[in-house]
Amino acid sequence: MVPFAWIILVSILLFALGAIALITRRNAVAALMGVELMLNAANLNFVAAWRYYYPDHLDAQVAVLLVITIAAAEAAVGLAIILNLYRRFGTVDLDQIRLMRG
Amino acid sequence: MTNQTISIAIFFVLGVGFWMIALAVSYLARPSKPTKFKETSYECGIEPSGSAWYQVHVRYYIYALLFVLFDVEVAFLYPWAVIFRRIDGGQMLLFSELAIFVLILVFGLVYAWRKGALEWE
Amino acid sequence: MTWADLPALYPMLIPAATAVLLLLTLTVRRDARLAAGVAMAGFIAGLLALAASAAELSHPVTMLLTVDRFAVVFWGILLFAGLLVSVFAVGYFRTLREPREEFYLLWLLAVVGAMVMAASAHFAAFFLGLELLSVSLYVLIAYPRMQSRAVEAGVKYLILAGASSAFVLFGMALTYAATGTLTFAELFTHLTLFPGDVLLLGGVVMILVGVGFKLALVPFHFWTPDVYEGAPLPVTAAVATVSKGAAFALLTRLLLGVIQAQPGHSTLAVIFTLLALASMIVGNLLALAQGNLKRLLAYSSIANMGYALTAFIAGGDAARVAIPYFFAGYIVAVLAAFGVMTQLSTPEHELQEVEDYRGLAWRYPWSAALLTVALLSLAGIPLTAGFLGKFFVLTAGMAAGRWTLVVTLVLTSGLGLYYYLRVITALYQAPLEGEQPTPPPLHLPHRLSVLTGLALAVLAALLLLLGVYPSPVLHLLAWP
Repeated sequence: MVPFAWIILVSILLFALGAIALITRRNAVAALMGVELMLNAANLNFVAAWRYYYPDHLDAQVAVLLVITIAAAEAAVGLAIILNLYRRFGTVDLDQIRLMRG
Repeated sequence: MTNQTISIAIFFVLGVGFWMIALAVSYLARPSKPTKFKETSYECGIEPSGSAWYQVHVRYYIYALLFVLFDVEVAFLYPWAVIFRRIDGGQMLLFSELAIFVLILVFGLVYAWRKGALEWE
Repeated sequence: MTWADLPALYPMLIPAATAVLLLLTLTVRRDARLAAGVAMAGFIAGLLALAASAAELSHPVTMLLTVDRFAVVFWGILLFAGLLVSVFAVGYFRTLREPREEFYLLWLLAVVGAMVMAASAHFAAFFLGLELLSVSLYVLIAYPRMQSRAVEAGVKYLILAGASSAFVLFGMALTYAATGTLTFAELFTHLTLFPGDVLLLGGVVMILVGVGFKLALVPFHFWTPDVYEGAPLPVTAAVATVSKGAAFALLTRLLLGVIQAQPGHSTLAVIFTLLALASMIVGNLLALAQGNLKRLLAYSSIANMGYALTAFIAGGDAARVAIPYFFAGYIVAVLAAFGVMTQLSTPEHELQEVEDYRGLAWRYPWSAALLTVALLSLAGIPLTAGFLGKFFVLTAGMAAGRWTLVVTLVLTSGLGLYYYLRVITALYQAPLEGEQPTPPPLHLPHRLSVLTGLALAVLAALLLLLGVYPSPVLHLLAWP
């Protein structure tokens, strides 16, 4: 079987890619996709830990199920807000949306 | 490499190989006489109009959101269904827990309906 | 879970059920006053159930939640804040053209999420509560959807809070990989047995990033001023009170035992000390130059979370009293300050600048007086709730010998006094000659509804009571 460390490595890479997308992409939707990628990296980690170390406990499986539904809710709410952002500003470019300092 | 991995690899090779061979044979066998009409894309036999890439009206996003939400919530029913028969006793509690969950979902649907999110116009 | 466990959860289940009931009510009849009434009834019923369930304390309910003294006190604080924010929202949103009803629905859910966090004993409960709170807050912040600033604040919060949730979740996954458990109790065992486990420590630190974001500790504070400024005032009050109270209660549940069990300068203690020092110093320094009252309160809240962390790092029984007491005082003061601001504002036109409040005392002496007391309490002046809160925090810090933190707390509080007094002076100055800066909302007939007046009066009474007569709350916290 593939060593556990490799899977952790992949999940850390996925998480980092999501974080990079979040930081570098100025499109609000792309940033939200970065967040989803980060959540899925955590899911991969959960499932791998379950499969390799704790196959008798279902904790991780339930956690993954929870995360999937919560991520869906977050995406739905997030997209609705971003849609409203587009209606107000005519753009979803985060760099152009700065009415407030900071 | 386990047995399963090998069979999946064979399946993959066959699956890809089949269409590649089929396309290659037909490419070699068929006559090539292109006309202008033949080169247009196929749209149920009538003449195609407009680009295939057009924006769907944004009003449909609510359907997409509602679909995603209800679709994903159903994921909770599966583990419940698996466990339900295995556990002795407390069936009423188990059942009522899920009944409450589904009822809340139904209330959400009723709300969306009354809010007009399910209207087509 | 059995039927017998249910009563302990009533204070949380009742607001949750009220949210569903409100959802159904909205399908039948849309009426902002009715919706607000249902929500308030839910919060009040929750508070009453709290008095009943306080009888069975220290009660683990399934492996997910623990209803102990600490949880009950925080539930009380959160429900109280929930009730008051909905009272303020009624007056504030009166001019909003769009539907106002959903605000109360989302707000109920947000408070329930915060309550789950405050009582959680398991990562699943933690994450569910966190997300219920966050997702509701995304919408609440962007609620006045015609106000560009609110929408901007909503998107900023959405993306940053989403990222912080992802950090929390990844941290949970790492701790799970390291320990094979998702309960706080077993995490405690593992952390005390193997304090050097890299995977475990990495996981805990990533969870801290997420919690630090919710608490707006420096260096995770960048969202705070913008979100405070852009969000509608009642929601700003909610972010400052409910969200932070829940996050801190959770932090206490998760790690107070670990900090206590480990020797004085463990990795975690050092991390927390740095966070606390940075928050106290940066928060107070940035507040000095602020001309916008909302942003000023944002920086002040950063500093206040630094103060609370001081008690947390000190640990011990003193901290178990100091943290809830400090939060009770902080939340009452913040609610009072935002309550006054809310009454003078509408979604379309908020009084945000300190300049807008110049001479307030001459027009609305009672509002100005309450705002004064609230700011004095935040500054920690004797006879106010904030003073005793800070006093208990300092006692805890000194008892544990955390002198760096204690000295920084005292020094930065002195710094804080300056900017609070700057606002208070403005309240009592005569309005500028000639210019007559009377902003539009003040032209509206200032009809303070009975309910709002009552809420503000209760806050004023609590600010002073908690400052001079702490024994009932201390008794509730089992002290001594």
